[in-house]
Amino acid sequence: MEENKDASENPLKSNRRHFFSQLSVGIGSLALGSLLIPDLFKGSGPSLASKGDLGVAHFAPKAKRIIYLFQAGAPSQLETFDYKPILRKRMGEDLPESIRNGQRLTGMTANQDKFPLMPPKIGFKKHGESQTWISDFFPHIAKIADDITVVRSMHTEAINHDPAITFFQTGSQIAGRPSMGSWLSYGLGSENKNLPSFVVLTSRGKGNSQGLYSKLWSSGFLDSKHQGVLLRSGKDPVLYLNDPDGISRSDKRHLLDHVASLNKMHHVETGDDEIESRIAQYEMAYRMQMSVPDVMDISKEPQSIIDLYGEDCQVPGTYAANALQARRLAENGVRFIQLYHQGWDQHGNLHNEMAGQAKDVDQASAALVLDLKQRGMLEDTLVVWGGEFGRGNYAQGKFDPENYGRDHHPKAFSIWMAGGGIKPGLNYGQTDEFGYNVVENPVHINDFHATLMHQMGLDHEKLTYKYQGRRFRLTDVAGNVINDLLA
Amino acid sequence: MTKPSQNRWVDYAVFGLSLFLLFCLLFDTYIKLPRLIAWVGRWHPLVLHFPIVLLLLCAFLGLTGRKVPKQLLTIAVLLSLLTAISGFFLGKEMAPKGDLLFWHQWMGGGLALLAAVWYGLVESNFNKPIFYKILQVTLIGLIFATGHYGGMVTHGENFLALPSEKRANKIPENPLLYKDVVGRILENKCVSCHNPNKTKGGLLMTSLDALLAGGEVGNTIQPGNPEESEMIRRVHLPIEDEEHMPPEDKQALNEQEIEILERWIALGASDTLRLVHLQSSEQLKGLVEGLMQPDTREKWAKLPEVADSTLQRLNTDYVTIKRIAGDANALSVNVYKSPRYVAKQVTGLNFVSQNIVQLDISGLPIGQDEMNFIGSCANLEWLELDKTPITDTEIEALNLLSKLKTLKIYSTAISDGSIAVFNKMDGLREIYLWNTKITATGIKDLKSKNPMLRIEGGIAEELRNSFVISDSL
Repeated sequence: MEENKDASENPLKSNRRHFFSQLSVGIGSLALGSLLIPDLFKGSGPSLASKGDLGVAHFAPKAKRIIYLFQAGAPSQLETFDYKPILRKRMGEDLPESIRNGQRLTGMTANQDKFPLMPPKIGFKKHGESQTWISDFFPHIAKIADDITVVRSMHTEAINHDPAITFFQTGSQIAGRPSMGSWLSYGLGSENKNLPSFVVLTSRGKGNSQGLYSKLWSSGFLDSKHQGVLLRSGKDPVLYLNDPDGISRSDKRHLLDHVASLNKMHHVETGDDEIESRIAQYEMAYRMQMSVPDVMDISKEPQSIIDLYGEDCQVPGTYAANALQARRLAENGVRFIQLYHQGWDQHGNLHNEMAGQAKDVDQASAALVLDLKQRGMLEDTLVVWGGEFGRGNYAQGKFDPENYGRDHHPKAFSIWMAGGGIKPGLNYGQTDEFGYNVVENPVHINDFHATLMHQMGLDHEKLTYKYQGRRFRLTDVAGNVINDLLA
Repeated sequence: MTKPSQNRWVDYAVFGLSLFLLFCLLFDTYIKLPRLIAWVGRWHPLVLHFPIVLLLLCAFLGLTGRKVPKQLLTIAVLLSLLTAISGFFLGKEMAPKGDLLFWHQWMGGGLALLAAVWYGLVESNFNKPIFYKILQVTLIGLIFATGHYGGMVTHGENFLALPSEKRANKIPENPLLYKDVVGRILENKCVSCHNPNKTKGGLLMTSLDALLAGGEVGNTIQPGNPEESEMIRRVHLPIEDEEHMPPEDKQALNEQEIEILERWIALGASDTLRLVHLQSSEQLKGLVEGLMQPDTREKWAKLPEVADSTLQRLNTDYVTIKRIAGDANALSVNVYKSPRYVAKQVTGLNFVSQNIVQLDISGLPIGQDEMNFIGSCANLEWLELDKTPITDTEIEALNLLSKLKTLKIYSTAISDGSIAVFNKMDGLREIYLWNTKITATGIKDLKSKNPMLRIEGGIAEELRNSFVISDSL
């Protein structure tokens, strides 16, 4: 019925599909068909009526929001959470072909004639009652070992950064699909209308970095209001948000009202929904002029919190500052907060670079979990820490246990999660003794996405958007919720 | 040969209804029913008895070599189709469809379509008695199977099972771990083969003494030592193993149940241990509490109806109201700080006060008016009042919130004067009260009155200090 109204509002919005759907009303059993299946003949599935915002969970959610601490560049699982003593015992020996099994390699090591096993230079210890193996790079994360769940059996298909990170963010190695945060914004709507429901914060360590592109937080074919908004460090978190000198807030209001009336005229002419999104975005920006400075202002945080996250959190643009910011955004109803910390691509000088990277993120990551916990927010906030793939268990290039590097490895890597209804203190999945292949409870990226959506109260098979003639999902045609991870 | 026109209309009706039924079955997931049509489904239990009798009669006549009266068959077929369609409508009200309903639906649909095929064959003068016989036998089989599954859907799976002693379904508050939790698992999964009538392997599992006594193998449970307990060893064996328990054809224990048994044995397999006795870090506590959680749909079914239009009206730039899930009448409300905050932003929600289950007004400059309003939200389960200027005086207003489970009130100026109010909230399970003026005495008082309460006092001092003295590499 909404369909009729929509089409009658603007003749241009009626396309071939609408035409047939109208026609069908007159045709015998098909009439009944469209009565029983309101969406049967619609152009873009269930989304059209509500204009790209479904706004209600499928079932009662365990988590209301996600903070994703993305470690861009792919930290090595063998120096973080996957302890493999055999690498030291058989140091320098060639990786058995029975283990490698013809795995596709990147151009950086494909031509190596030997793959000498390389042990981590850093030590490992068991922590907490959960007896979780954590490397000595992470003394603070070690203290929250019982609050987190380490998944050591992640695997992916991509072997290079860009496809791999795109896969993690959008469920597809090829760019163009909506990002995870956009899907959630589309499925659940926004909690606070004064802030975007999907926010991105970036920081960069001294380690070897790979690029980050805004396509990673793009809304793809979903309505552009679901796009991630990058908050920059410093005085101007959102570019062009502040009014120029001499423009008062009421002038601004006046301006927006006029622009909106012009846009509405245009909308009547063309019927393009993106114009309505544009009007809504202007209004959102107007409200963000008030809300963003308030959220970004950490001057009222007590010293105890500054101590917790570390001194760095007062330096805008650091990972620690972003972690603290993430908590503040979460408190203010932002659904998906995506942090990226660049610099984890250790093809060489791994030990020293990782020490620096770990120092950047260790304390603040642990502090964030503890801070959320004391606010009772860990119950409904899911924190995820991890990169886009793992790293090989053999040395890249010359064999030197003092200064070595590792190439990309898709078949097994480790991430951790905390809160949001995930079982705390769990060690999930196992790799073989070389840390090369998953041997128990594999978790594919699609499974990971399905699980995240499940915790947010969404059935990953039901949240679809019809585009170019077929329904798309974040998990496309795969993915199973990993029930073992759920508390 | 021309047919009488009446006959032709019946043909059309049978054909049309069959087509419609097929359509419904195939496009099940896409179909949403208008209310009125859903109501038609309610007639399913009434109509269904006719086709059962009539079709059985037809099949019986056919099988015993008598002529099946044409009119009888026609009525039977039409009624089967109507029954199947109304059944489909009724089934749409049950989501998600369980296994039972799934089979009932497909067998019932198949049954009606098969009956329609019979009608079609008779109409087209098809004449091969053996085909009719096969069809009739299949129909009888389907009638019984469909009826049985339908019966299980309405009356429960065990309706036809032999009578056994009934036990309350719900785990009571603060359960005895053996009697109310472990005993229940054993009863559901083990006792059917280990009872006084049928004591497989000489093992009786109906009482703790019997368990401790063990069976032929012995060591069924070793208090304090799950690894050495035969019961635990067996549930962990691969399912194809001869010794795996329960045997392959019986329903296996799920992981949660296994963990509960293990932890209970590890803690000494006592029959006096209660849930409150467990430390909050004990895994068993979480497992049992998970079992105790009531089904949310049931819990919120009694809330008054809220229209979407009401929600739309109440939603503003600074107030977000949402249904917690699907079409539930339970609401979650978030109020955000606006440049010009007025109490009305909170108190204006009085229209839906009984529906608010979660309320977050942390950080707002609220006063007595808002607190009085919150006190009237009788179904509130989750309340966030942290970083507000409230004091002990305003807390009084919350006296009657008996359903409140989670209260966040950290970073406020409340003191021990508020403890008496918290003590009255029987349902309270979590309270966050760090950075307040509440003293250790107050916390002790709270704990003694409500042993089930988890008190969050902030990050432990020792842990916090370890963050300050940054131990870098």
